[in-house]
Amino acid sequence: MRRGNFLTRLIWGLFVWSVVGTLGFPLFWMLSTAFKPPTEIFVSPPTLIPVSPTLDNFVRVLNETRFVTYFWNSLVVATATTALTITVSTLGAHAMVSFRIRGREMVGKVILLAYLLPSTAILIPIYLIIARLGLTNTRFGLVVAYTSLFLPFALWLMRAFMSGIPREIEAAAVIDGASRMRAFIDVVLPQAVPGIITTGVFSFILCWNEYLYALVMINNDDIRTLPTGVMGTLITGYSIEWGMVMAAAVMMSLPLLFVFLFLQRSLVAGFGAGAVKG
Amino acid sequence: MRNPVLGYLLLAPTVILLGVLVGWPLIEAVVLSFNQFHPLTRQPNFVGLRNYAEILTEEEFWNAFKNNFIWLAGSLVLQISLGVALALMLNRSFPGRGLARTLILFPYLLPVVVAALIWQWMLDPLNGVINAGIEGFGLPAVDWLGEMPEAMIAVITVGSWRAFPFVVIAVLARLQSIPAELYEAAEVDGASAWGRFWDVTMPQLGNVLFVVVLLRAIWDFREFDLLFLMTGGGPLSGTTTLPLLVYKEAFEVFQTGRAQAIAVVMLLVMAVLIAFYFALSRRGGTIDEA
Repeated sequence: MRRGNFLTRLIWGLFVWSVVGTLGFPLFWMLSTAFKPPTEIFVSPPTLIPVSPTLDNFVRVLNETRFVTYFWNSLVVATATTALTITVSTLGAHAMVSFRIRGREMVGKVILLAYLLPSTAILIPIYLIIARLGLTNTRFGLVVAYTSLFLPFALWLMRAFMSGIPREIEAAAVIDGASRMRAFIDVVLPQAVPGIITTGVFSFILCWNEYLYALVMINNDDIRTLPTGVMGTLITGYSIEWGMVMAAAVMMSLPLLFVFLFLQRSLVAGFGAGAVKG
Repeated sequence: MRNPVLGYLLLAPTVILLGVLVGWPLIEAVVLSFNQFHPLTRQPNFVGLRNYAEILTEEEFWNAFKNNFIWLAGSLVLQISLGVALALMLNRSFPGRGLARTLILFPYLLPVVVAALIWQWMLDPLNGVINAGIEGFGLPAVDWLGEMPEAMIAVITVGSWRAFPFVVIAVLARLQSIPAELYEAAEVDGASAWGRFWDVTMPQLGNVLFVVVLLRAIWDFREFDLLFLMTGGGPLSGTTTLPLLVYKEAFEVFQTGRAQAIAVVMLLVMAVLIAFYFALSRRGGTIDEA
């Protein structure tokens, strides 16, 4: 790479930042609108930064809508699904990578196929299965549906991580007299932790964001998750209160912010292993 | 290694869950497409190929089919060019590069509902910031989501805004593994910056771009949420793609069998893309036995 002088570097930096700033503008606009009082939202031309910032929109979303209920439902469903998919995919990936069992290549292909399958194709059958089991309008029903949607992805990601763990260590432990199960728990599992965290983060985000299945399976307001709940209560009729909508959008994105602040490395690792490697 | 019993035991939950939650629904999806389905009694009634005969002769289906490809082609072109351009920019050092890289990821992981709401607000015909900008230049306001082709342009833009970070990450990872010697050699040979880009960078990016285009095509072809949330398939059926048509048939007019027939046709179209990806992964060898 060539090293330009200070001025060209500065101009280049400003140029790239203006592009990144343009692409990031919608996020800025969400924040800006969320802190504006209703009167300021309809000012023309619009103010970039709120002149009289207020927390009113946030307070009203929390007090006048069932945002907290939806948030709780989302949290429960996403956490339960993540716990289930992580457990199953960690065990499954370990079996596929370190045991020479029949059909493991076949299972690998099926996982990739399931991962690439469009969710709308099996939406109706999944809906019917859930309905037959009497699980529509339950959080458990959503967990079942989300497991169907996201387990293939989790398996795919975990398998990529697991095959990156050197097998010699496990073999050494077994030679030293440890059982296969002990070797898995004491030797393989600790090394798999970064992969498990990454897979967990992605599973959680996918569940948190899911809209279509929640729309179809849930029509009881006590059970609604954030995406359908927010759409249902704040986007109604002709006068949409955009300040409140943007405040809800900001609060809905909070778990994501948490991930960015504390688990950023896992995100990049996930992109590298699951999505791009193929 | 020994002890395959434990291996089968550990693999059992995976096989059972995939079988029950993916395999069985898939079989049922195909079976349902040959049935007419009563929405109240949920009793299937075998009708053979009638659902297929019906949908394939209706304009509604072919309109969605066409829209699906317009949406796919537009999104792919926009997100790939945007993603590659940004990856090239982020590959050279500048102040705050780490922060810029992090910020870039946000649109990709944002809940689709949040993305749709932000853009609906920005595209609002009366008070939206985009029309405010357009009017600032003395141009007339645009009804972004209420007219064609504006609505299609809008959803393609928003879809690409959501998807481009994936392209950036993939391309950037590849760019950083291009050996610096290649550039040095080209520079010694007197290649211009543009020449170095075409002769050194692009050939190295070829493979990763192919994989990225294929994956993005598979994912964007089936996109439902964004289109449904932004336009509901409208105006009229201007942005109705196949996944939206499946939803409408199944949950708005309760024609479950016809909906499933559309879904199966969609699946067959996608099978071509998926088969491509499989062939690619086998040749590349990075997926099996990575």
